[in-house]
Amino acid sequence: MTGASHGAGHLLRLAAVLGVLLAAAFPLYWMFVTSLTTSASLFAVPPRALPDPSQLGVYAEAFQTIPVARWLRNSLIVAAGTTVLSLALAVFPAYAMSRFRFRGRGAMGLGLFATQMLPEAMLVVPLYAIFADVGLLNSLGGLILANTAFTVPVITWILKGAIDGVPLDIEEAARMDGATRVGIVLSVVLPLVAPSLAATSVIAFFHGWNEYVLAQTLISQEGLRTASVGLASFVGELSTPVHSVMAIGVLYTLPAIAFYLMVQRYVVAGMTAGSVKG
Amino acid sequence: MPKLTRRVLGLGAAALLPTAALRPARAQAGRAAVTFAAVTFTEAGRGDRLKAWVEKFNRSQNGVEVQPVGLPFATLANTVFTQMGGGGGPDLVRFDQIDYYAAIAARRILPFDDLVDTSGYKFTAIDKYLLPGGKRYGIAFESSNYVLLHNAGVLKSTAPANFEDFLSVAKASTANGVFGFAFRATMAERPGFWQDVCNFVYGFGGRWSDGAGKLTLDAPAVIEGVTAYKRMYDSGAIPKGADAATYRRMFWEGKLAMEVDNGGVAAILNQQAPEMKLVATPSPFPTRAQGLILAPLTVNANTKNKVEAAAFIKWMLQPDAQSELQQILGASNCATVVPRTVEELAAKPWLKVYDEQTPNSVPQLVEGFELKTPEIQQIVLEQVLRVLQADKDPKAALADAQRQALSRVIR
Repeated sequence: MTGASHGAGHLLRLAAVLGVLLAAAFPLYWMFVTSLTTSASLFAVPPRALPDPSQLGVYAEAFQTIPVARWLRNSLIVAAGTTVLSLALAVFPAYAMSRFRFRGRGAMGLGLFATQMLPEAMLVVPLYAIFADVGLLNSLGGLILANTAFTVPVITWILKGAIDGVPLDIEEAARMDGATRVGIVLSVVLPLVAPSLAATSVIAFFHGWNEYVLAQTLISQEGLRTASVGLASFVGELSTPVHSVMAIGVLYTLPAIAFYLMVQRYVVAGMTAGSVKG
Repeated sequence: MPKLTRRVLGLGAAALLPTAALRPARAQAGRAAVTFAAVTFTEAGRGDRLKAWVEKFNRSQNGVEVQPVGLPFATLANTVFTQMGGGGGPDLVRFDQIDYYAAIAARRILPFDDLVDTSGYKFTAIDKYLLPGGKRYGIAFESSNYVLLHNAGVLKSTAPANFEDFLSVAKASTANGVFGFAFRATMAERPGFWQDVCNFVYGFGGRWSDGAGKLTLDAPAVIEGVTAYKRMYDSGAIPKGADAATYRRMFWEGKLAMEVDNGGVAAILNQQAPEMKLVATPSPFPTRAQGLILAPLTVNANTKNKVEAAAFIKWMLQPDAQSELQQILGASNCATVVPRTVEELAAKPWLKVYDEQTPNSVPQLVEGFELKTPEIQQIVLEQVLRVLQADKDPKAALADAQRQALSRVIR
């Protein structure tokens, strides 16, 4: 391959990557621009492509007149709680399924899979009835529990697959050094499957962050609303305040992006860990 | 990578620290909390005023506190029915008329016999639609008529008096990013799409049934209404694809000349642009019949606060509370007859046009098939979409709708 054709190929690839990036980022950009466009310009032909900085007040308004900060805080509690509880509950079953041979192991795995076949909307009525009986309605703790029930099975299976890849010899060595089984899981196995932990934490966090049906049904107190429900509450029967929806939409995406950026390097580290071996 | 484990644990601890937020919420000590779910609490302009109106009741009581719960229009019925199915749900619910009938059939709401003695009140004419089988399960929280609204600063002529006029005025007003008319024509807005189709069909004298147990989806007047809908759709005068929230905003931004809409919308338009010259006239169809928005207030059969819920209903039926509610609702009406003041009518002449429409308003239900309305609605709208988007002949489309409804719904 000549230098010139190599350069052209590189440029083409770069252009393709840029195109995909632009397509992915454009909705976010448009949301931001719409939030900062005057009412009169919303229907301008051609549409306004740049944000109007004089409209930044819409963001201050979101915090002053709408309980956005509270919604985001509630969402953060639910998403983080779901992440921690899901990982905590999934690690040991995943380890057991990977390392132990016991009666019912296959049924347990199948059972976990089966829970994924039921849509959330179908389970929401019995969940509501149970939560009403045990006093978990209108509680963020209850919402964390409900979300966790949906994330634990998939996380368990992902972690089981990751633990399968950890050589038994490493565990044997730790045992020879006097480590307990729990100690081995926490100190030896988990660090080795950290990229999978990061990936599953992204799954759990985003599930808790974006979840709508359970949050809408199990929480009726306005002070405990999550951001997904708060955002939807603007879609009125007769009108929808476009600026506020877009501004809150922008604010709603930021913590999720921040979380992803925080754990993303671990995911990438896991994906590239074996690439230089040999 | 032990850092990650510590980070995750730290994140978890931080999340679980605000334990106060994790505990179930409780009502104020000594007061029974009565939850009241309604779409209207979420609306810009009207929502906050309605909450303040509810707060007046709370201030007048020692043992009851009504807590407004605003739910999105699109998911209110699903959410509330789910909660009711689970044995709970809000104590008071403002339903739409279709859901009202569904809730009665499913025995999810209480009859009013044991709750409130309603014999002494002078209810509005539409109250008759709330008494299926002669039994009351709710009172009108809001009812609203449909008329033609226009922005006098944008319309290029006087208000149209008939449909041909309407088409030509709409076309003449369409230029430079301004549209002549707007309505809904997508399944994404199914309830609103149905409301708009009902207005055209009723306006041309059509009805979905004969009221005596026979569907009339393919009756000549229904075909005329759908044909008119198609002619307007193809006229180039409507912003195709714009949802109601968007075209209503366009209206008060001076980008839309006319729309047929209900009294609640007129109030919002007036509030958003008080300087706009809002004019209302009867819809320009061969007959005065138009659709009717009817949202009854009901009591959840699962409520543990029956007495307290009844106390709120009795309070809201008092003349002062009704008068204030009607003012908040705009050109809509509440449960009882509340005359408009001279000042109100002088400041908002369009109120009179809405009020005069009441005798001609017809519920957007299929009479005699109220519980089947959602299924019939789906069949009709699918066929109307084929007329609009695939140029299917309206007569053939509605014949298909009639056939499908008879075989799939009315078996």
